Amino acid sequence: MAELLTPLKRRTLTAKLMDVHWPLLVLVSIIAVIGTGMLASVGGGAMHPWADSHALRFLIGLALVIAMTLVPLSVWLRLSYPAFALGLVLLALVPIVGVEALGAKRWLSAGGLSLQPSEIVKVTLVAALARYYQALPAGLESRPRYLAAPLAMILLPVLLTLRQPDLGTSVLLIATGLTLMFLAGVSGWYFAGAAAAMFAALPLVLSHLHGYQRRRLEVFLDPDKDPLGAGYHIAQAKIALGSGGLAGKGYLQGTQAQLDFVPEKHTDFILAILGEEWGFIGTLTLLALLLAVVSVALGMARRADSAFARLVIAGFALMVLVYALINIAMVTGVAPVVGVPLPLVSYGGTNMLSLMVALGLAMSAHVHAHGRLR
Amino acid sequence: MSGPDRDDVKRRRFSRRVALIGLAQTAAFGGLAMRLYDLQVRDAHRYQPLADQNRTDVQVLPAVRGRILDRLGAVLADNEQVYRVTIVPALARDVKSVLARLSRLVPLPPEKREQILVRARRQSRNLPIVVASDLTFEEVAEVSVLSPHLPGVRAEIAWRRRYHDGVTMGHVCGYVGNADRMAVEDPDPALKLPGARVGRAGVELALENELRGTAGSARTEVDARGRMVRPLDRIEPEPGRDVRLTIDSALQQRVLARLAEVRRGAVVALEAATGNVIALASHPTFDPSPLASGVNEAFWKQMAAIESRPMLNRAVAGLYPPGSTFKMVTALAALHQDAVTPKDHLTCEGSYDLNGQTYRCWRRHGHGSVDLHRALRESCDVYFYEMAHRVGIDALADMARHLGLGRAFDTDIALQKAGVIPDPEWKRANVSARRAGANWLGGETVLAGIGQGYVATTPLQLAVMAARIATGRAIEPWVTLPAPGAARVAAPALRLQPRWLEAVRRGMVAVVNEEGGTGANAQLASDIIVAGKTGTSQVSRRSGESAQADLPWELRDHALFVAYAPAGAPRYAIAAVVEHGGGGGAAAAPLVRDTLQLILDDEARRREQAAEPRTRQEG
Repeated sequence: MAELLTPLKRRTLTAKLMDVHWPLLVLVSIIAVIGTGMLASVGGGAMHPWADSHALRFLIGLALVIAMTLVPLSVWLRLSYPAFALGLVLLALVPIVGVEALGAKRWLSAGGLSLQPSEIVKVTLVAALARYYQALPAGLESRPRYLAAPLAMILLPVLLTLRQPDLGTSVLLIATGLTLMFLAGVSGWYFAGAAAAMFAALPLVLSHLHGYQRRRLEVFLDPDKDPLGAGYHIAQAKIALGSGGLAGKGYLQGTQAQLDFVPEKHTDFILAILGEEWGFIGTLTLLALLLAVVSVALGMARRADSAFARLVIAGFALMVLVYALINIAMVTGVAPVVGVPLPLVSYGGTNMLSLMVALGLAMSAHVHAHGRLR
Repeated sequence: MSGPDRDDVKRRRFSRRVALIGLAQTAAFGGLAMRLYDLQVRDAHRYQPLADQNRTDVQVLPAVRGRILDRLGAVLADNEQVYRVTIVPALARDVKSVLARLSRLVPLPPEKREQILVRARRQSRNLPIVVASDLTFEEVAEVSVLSPHLPGVRAEIAWRRRYHDGVTMGHVCGYVGNADRMAVEDPDPALKLPGARVGRAGVELALENELRGTAGSARTEVDARGRMVRPLDRIEPEPGRDVRLTIDSALQQRVLARLAEVRRGAVVALEAATGNVIALASHPTFDPSPLASGVNEAFWKQMAAIESRPMLNRAVAGLYPPGSTFKMVTALAALHQDAVTPKDHLTCEGSYDLNGQTYRCWRRHGHGSVDLHRALRESCDVYFYEMAHRVGIDALADMARHLGLGRAFDTDIALQKAGVIPDPEWKRANVSARRAGANWLGGETVLAGIGQGYVATTPLQLAVMAARIATGRAIEPWVTLPAPGAARVAAPALRLQPRWLEAVRRGMVAVVNEEGGTGANAQLASDIIVAGKTGTSQVSRRSGESAQADLPWELRDHALFVAYAPAGAPRYAIAAVVEHGGGGGAAAAPLVRDTLQLILDDEARRREQAAEPRTRQEG
């Protein structure tokens, strides 16, 4: 309470640390531990090569979160626009000097280090949008003049990532960006209208899909059409999930995984292995944990004092929510295969990193939320 | 920056909307939870077996094909092991590059690679395709060692059909060919295996079900790349049953050697009492061995180019007008219909008029007064024109069929031709009205009476006819011995009065043994009496006008001869055809004589061996 009365006084580190939302960190850590465990099973019962890197990355990420938390939120506020601009520039560089892998150009590589600009943009978009609405006076959100900038901030990176092509990231950027705009107060009518426009534009979108993306859609609608090709993932994942039954076959006992029947079992389709080994009980538990993380974060957001803080925290929650929903829908055959990881569980360094940075921002926002921002 | 109140407004709005998002997310998660419930709990029973299916691979184990043995047990067709390499496209994924890698280890010409790629596209990607066969142990070992770099490739041992004495028994044993087309009708999974073969001709075809055996299966646990993890269970295949022929291949070889002295022809010899075939020779012959290892384009092309068609089994599928060998049918038909008695006499003046047409006897100036006995002995055409005319075509056809002509026998001889025993119905269905009128003509009956016109028979049918006349029973021809434990039903008696058969038999004895008989050349050196009948069937009209020797070979008459011996207690029936051989008595009778001699010599030899105090193992 003393902190409220002296907003400009720097608090001690320990005081800040005590303000960290430990329950959220615990929840996040539990999910990461589950992920590590699954990666160990999928790795043939060994920590190497996936489980150990995953755990290490998470620990580094946690350290990063604590470090970022201790930095005052005003710093992050000031860095928002420059960081976003940097991200855009790097993204624009990808088609020019980017490294091609698996038919897509997504990476920049220099001096032994490589990074994915799309991961950076995921976080900086959230920060930039939050910054914008922090400054915008209340009531003006829905004016067309003040819609241009946020929409541009969303569209530019989306167009660049679509060209890579990276459908998964584009979907995340659009979903997160638009939801943040909604949470910031933009009129609901716009969204209704946009939804209607999307339906109308669907045929156009479909005709512009890349070959493999269109196939994914076709196969989603009828997985049996190509049981050994594109439909294979879906079919095998369903089989893995389904054969788990209520309680699963037991840790390390999943035949689909052990015998290598589920492709991408350590990345996008890891939920299938969880379902096979831990059954419905296992998958339901993970679903509950993810739901808890998002809910706690959203709760955190409500209690924050400034628009920037609220939107940054909500941004983190959305990153988890959107990816989790799409991934689970994909693995259970309810959505076409889009190539989206399960947060904190799937193996993949860059996604873990961007998620932890977002968490760091959110935690910083939470800790500093009771003060006023300049 | 906004003041506290403004932020309050923002905050409240934010709060409301977050609640909305919270609700939406709960609904979404709820929906996914229900979906998971469906998959994992409600439908679990459906996915469990699919998961099991994934991890087990069922391999069809082909059965070893039964062997074909001759009468004494000599092996004519058996199986040898070959090394070969197969590929499963579904597991190989990139078939083209795997084949490229394989071509460095085993002989694999580019055309064969193309063939495999085409096949992979056409059939199910889970079916294995043979890449190369007949490999050395070293080649197969190399493939096995490099198998991690060759996904979907399997090195295995397979069985291949092998023929011994191919030329001698080629027509009888037949050959095997690819099962592809057959697999459509036959549900046996073994037929879908690479290199599966089914009988295409001869005994291989006729006894396919006995020879094939029953396939087994082996279940193994596999990973997604088809690599075996551990074996699960196994049902052993049941090998096919060995089949024993009624033919002694040594005797057949001798018969063929004698037959080969003519340009083209066939000889069929049966055991008169049982119908067991003891020689089924067709000349020219061929060796089916090149076909054993699969499609052999060169072989087929070569065979198709030979004008004399060695792959045609003339003994069962060669169609010839029987000529005078048919006269026994006419005689029996006339006797059966009470149209004549053996004592009745007719006058043959060398020609016969009917409906304004003149039909000639082969003896220009006629035979004079003939009864049945003389008509047979000297093969008088006019007598039989009259007999045919008296009974009519229907009765004639009936008798022909009763004696075994006009159909394929429902026994174990593959690819027989049914031949033609014409009647008005047949004519309406098969002869264009423009050519010969829609209705049956009287002239066609009389021609049929001497085995010309539309009548067509195979040497097999003629031999059966001889056996039926000799024994008075409805003999059927068999080329394999019955399975151990099974017995064949004895043939029923013919619906013919014994005295008529006697009359005809006496005539046939006269053909060979009496003065004036046309078949004197069939007399054996020993005192075993042969009964028979010559036949000369016209191929071209010109043969009536010129002497045979003056005609080009392909226009000369066919020479035929049917016989049985010994006349009193017949043991063997035999028929021979010499294509474009000229006169039946001149060309075919000596062939029958020599063949009979070979058979009787063989019989005598076996009797001696059986009588020896030192027992000899047979077969």
